[in-house]
Amino acid sequence: MLPILIQQLLNGLSIASVITLIAVGVTLIFGLTGIINFAHGEFLMIGSFVTWLAVQAGTGFVPALVIAILAVALMGLVLERGLFRFTLTRPTNGFIVSLGLIVVLQHVVILFFGPNQKSIPRPLAGVWDVGGVRIASVRVMVILVTIAVVAMTFVMITRSRYGRALRAAVEDRDTAALMGIPVRRYITGVFVLGSALAGLGGALLIALFPVTPFTGGTMVMKGFAVALMGGLGNLTGAVVAGLILGIVEGFSAGYGFSEWTDAYSFGLMILVLLVRPNGLFGGTSGPKMA
Amino acid sequence: MIMKSSSSPLASLLPALAVLVVLALVPALGPSNRILSLAISAGINIVALYGLAVLFGQTGILSMGHAALVGVGAYTAAILARDLGIGFWVALPLGSLLAAAVAAIVGVPSLRVSGHHFVIMTFAFGQLLSIVLTNGGAFTGAATGLDLQLPVTWFGRPAGDLVPYYFIVIAFVAISAVASWLIINSSYGRTLRAIRENEKLAASLGINVGRHKIGAFVVSGLFAGVSGVLLAYFFRHISPNQFSAFPSIYLALMVMIGGARLLLGPIAGGILVSFLPEMLNLDPVESRILYGICLIAVILLLPNGLIAGLFDGLRALGRRLVGSAPRPNVPTDGTSETA
Repeated sequence: MLPILIQQLLNGLSIASVITLIAVGVTLIFGLTGIINFAHGEFLMIGSFVTWLAVQAGTGFVPALVIAILAVALMGLVLERGLFRFTLTRPTNGFIVSLGLIVVLQHVVILFFGPNQKSIPRPLAGVWDVGGVRIASVRVMVILVTIAVVAMTFVMITRSRYGRALRAAVEDRDTAALMGIPVRRYITGVFVLGSALAGLGGALLIALFPVTPFTGGTMVMKGFAVALMGGLGNLTGAVVAGLILGIVEGFSAGYGFSEWTDAYSFGLMILVLLVRPNGLFGGTSGPKMA
Repeated sequence: MIMKSSSSPLASLLPALAVLVVLALVPALGPSNRILSLAISAGINIVALYGLAVLFGQTGILSMGHAALVGVGAYTAAILARDLGIGFWVALPLGSLLAAAVAAIVGVPSLRVSGHHFVIMTFAFGQLLSIVLTNGGAFTGAATGLDLQLPVTWFGRPAGDLVPYYFIVIAFVAISAVASWLIINSSYGRTLRAIRENEKLAASLGINVGRHKIGAFVVSGLFAGVSGVLLAYFFRHISPNQFSAFPSIYLALMVMIGGARLLLGPIAGGILVSFLPEMLNLDPVESRILYGICLIAVILLLPNGLIAGLFDGLRALGRRLVGSAPRPNVPTDGTSETA
């Protein structure tokens, strides 16, 4: 029983890694810009499809991953400049725009590539046998990459000059602007960074599972559930909540309740918000509007 | 701020009723079955849209899980018919009440959190419901869903065919329009709008904001339940994915495109979204891309919906033609910010 449990735990954590990448992106973007971007899951799905296209074209997995990150970051840049910029003073409108984007992005992908699932050969085929526990190296790779990237993001936000300027802009946009921080550019920058994380998540996801144009919908809901559980706008919260979800999903699959897997994230979120409406670690209510 | 403030309340009801009278004459033109089916499903959506308009247009809170409440109505109808042999006319109030009860159950915890969080909570509840329906075994028919065989009758005569059913749906659209007109023009409607405009001020005036928000959600659930029963008896087969995330997004889209604050908005949104792809001869994928683009364009360019935008445009045009300065009491509704 125990080996199976550890295996399921690892599976749960590898999926939770991708969800955490979404949650971190969502939380970062919301924290600074107040934009609730539900289309973030579609960004992830497009990251997966770009990876698939690149691998089809004959590149290896690593170049494909880089291409996916760049492509989705570019898409984020264009969409922020072209659409979300105009909704900064009305966050609800930004949210509705993102719903429209979900529909558009999803169906544009279907139009070109059809609704069927796409998969790539596993970039790491190795399976380690540690005392009867079969560990797929690709899952370990996904978890390690996520830890590294999230740690880098965290250090950047908390330690660097840019991070400090960023947090100042969250605290008070106008004063930050008066101090010479180019707030608008930071907003764009954070949106692009969040999009890049979604691109990375998409590349990692297709390394684990086949992906369909509809994958983004469920993934973004889980990402939002995690972000809300941790407290929207709170980076630490997103990471811890992602970890909790991974463990819960892993254990439940280990005990044979896998058909309910999708319900946990939502159930957990509702429970957490009932007890602590601002999430486990307390969120922000978005940037303060002057 | 409120658009109809310049005219009497009745003036806002008459255009909606006139449109409905015209729509009721449609079967006389001998439309094809395809058109009639589209019209019926548009009408079924419009009933739910009126509920959503009370919630979003009047109270200013958006539900992204509304299709789930429609689903509660639909599954109530199907399960009552299967297990108890209860037919259409009894299922209607029961489905409606049950959907309202579910709205209350969802609303109480959801409204503890504010703003964005509420929207996401409703979305999560919607997803949860479709997971529950999928995993519900024989009781909910799992992923394949349920069939509904009982006939619809109208004073003892069969009314399940397209034309009679079209009239039944039109009647319910009319009832919904009148009901939401009554809500908008009641003191209750004014209370809801006060909450929409300034929650803190409303609370300081002694309005129980939380209770009224839940109340508005329950009212919108009543509409959604009726829409669900109509839907179950029209399609004769229901399955969980009809009530999952995307149908909810489309409902929100329709109410946005039509405009949530006008009485004609839901009718306009429902008809446009149902018939536009047909008129432009688009396949489903293309038409959905078009919906999405329309939604984004409407939000960025005409935040009050297509119809309100049209009226504003005409008014501006008229003003320019007459050449007079804008009247000080011209209702501005945020459109000026983006115009």
